[in-house]
Amino acid sequence: MREFDFYSPTSVPEALELLRKYKDSNAIVAGGTDIVIELNERKHTPKVVIDIKRLKELEYIRFEDGLVKIGALTSHAAIAADPRIAERTRVLHTACAEVGSPQIRNLGTIGGNLSTASVAGDGVAAMVTLDASVVLRSKDGERTMKLVDFLNGEGYDKRNALQSDELMTEVFFTEPDAHTATAFYKLAKRKSLAISVIGGGMRCSVDDAGVVTAISLRGGCLGRYPLQFKAAEEHVLGKKLSLELLRETLPMMHDLVLDLNRNRPWSVFYKKESVQGVFNKLFVDILAQLNMEVGA
Amino acid sequence: MNKIKITCTVNGEAVCREVYPNQRLLDFLREELGLTSVKEGCGEGECGACTVIFNGEPVTSCCMLAGQAEGADIVTLEGLSKNGEMDKIQKAFIEVGAVQCGFCTPGMVLTAKALLDKNPHPTMDEIKLAMSGNLCRCTGYAKIHQAVAKAAAE
Ligand SMILES: Cc1cc2nc3c(=O)[nH]c(=O)nc-3n(C[C@H](O)[C@H](O)[C@H](O)COP(=O)(O)OP(=O)(O)OC[C@H]3O[C@@H](n4cnc5c(N)ncnc54)[C@H](O)[C@@H]3O)c2cc1C
Ligand code: FES
Ligand code: FES
Repeated sequence: MREFDFYSPTSVPEALELLRKYKDSNAIVAGGTDIVIELNERKHTPKVVIDIKRLKELEYIRFEDGLVKIGALTSHAAIAADPRIAERTRVLHTACAEVGSPQIRNLGTIGGNLSTASVAGDGVAAMVTLDASVVLRSKDGERTMKLVDFLNGEGYDKRNALQSDELMTEVFFTEPDAHTATAFYKLAKRKSLAISVIGGGMRCSVDDAGVVTAISLRGGCLGRYPLQFKAAEEHVLGKKLSLELLRETLPMMHDLVLDLNRNRPWSVFYKKESVQGVFNKLFVDILAQLNMEVGA
Repeated sequence: MNKIKITCTVNGEAVCREVYPNQRLLDFLREELGLTSVKEGCGEGECGACTVIFNGEPVTSCCMLAGQAEGADIVTLEGLSKNGEMDKIQKAFIEVGAVQCGFCTPGMVLTAKALLDKNPHPTMDEIKLAMSGNLCRCTGYAKIHQAVAKAAAE
């Protein structure tokens, strides 16, 4: 590891002050599961490291005004263990419960997952499926933006919208209601510690007649950001939900994957097959959840 | 580079050290405190050999910075035996034959300890899930899982 000065603020204002002061060359460390390895391998050589693990005020899960608000420092283990998230927001529960290993879930935070913005980020795929928003704070104040805009943002290191003196403090999304089902399915090379090959996320709302009123179909690892299967979503929206209807979208998904991987023909076959496998599982899961809810 | 002061509890004893911050928790425990039961396998969070119990939870110490130990309560394998007598998990590993080269064993035992402290009577599935972040190249996992179950039954 290169030399650096180390700070461990205990309040958000103190952290923001430090970030501003060392704006030119800093690295934030939360759980450390991504960044400590980079520091150790000297892939990253900041002059100052700011450990935010002691900002306990950013560790929370709140249910307010129909929203689920999660502090950036909340661990994957804490999210996976929350009973209300397990019951109502299965896409997030499953994604967090399957990150890495128990040790990595204890350390790794949702804010770190979204800030790393890795193509294989399971938290990213789940949160995009939920159309989440993130809150960023600096000494100058706070800004809120959609996660997809954050991911496409042109921040200081081009990974996302973060400026070098900004801290992500929260991610929030509308809590799925009784007419909405969500699911996540990850296809990975190994059972544990597996970085996703494809992480599929699905959210679907229906009205009393079973007609689809909202739908989100996302695939992690297929592109730079969780891929939106737009044609498939449009095909389903406004129609009566059934397994047949959902399966009609598979060729549309194939086409998109094919299109995006034109330059990497070797990966097309397995990605195509995996997309089909992953989404078939999601369709069955979602229908089972909705039948229970809608039928009751 | 300025030194930092780390005050924490390690294996039940108060520790206070002034160190350079550019080291991992793993390095701090091994090099500064001489706790060499903490092993470095992959150095990338994959193998679990560097597992320690940090505020009650198993974590991989290669993914943490030394400075993050400030105020924490840390347990390594050295902290398990009491008055020269091994912990029941250590005994079970020996009795079942869950140790071959032994490199993964400290991490395995600590992960099992963190599990049993929270859930004294886990099912086999709970044992397998809890131990899934610790890799072993020699023994195979059946004996390791059996050893944890044996310790839980005592
Ligand atoms: C063995 C192993 C397996 C893994 N498996 C998975 C997996 O299955 N799925 C998956 O999605 N990920 C996986 N990961 C990646 C990683 O664990 C997660 O992305 C984790 O959520 C990162 O969070 P962290 O708190 O550890 O981030 P850190 O490493 O602390 O930080 C990551 C980055 O985000 C920045 N950052 C962190 N918090 C904030 C904040 N609040 N505001 C602004 N910037 C911030 C840091 O500066 C850094 O650049 C794995 C990692 C390892 C080592
Ligand atoms: S050395 Fe830390 S997990 Fe392998
Ligand atoms: S006993 Fe050799 S790695 Fe487990």
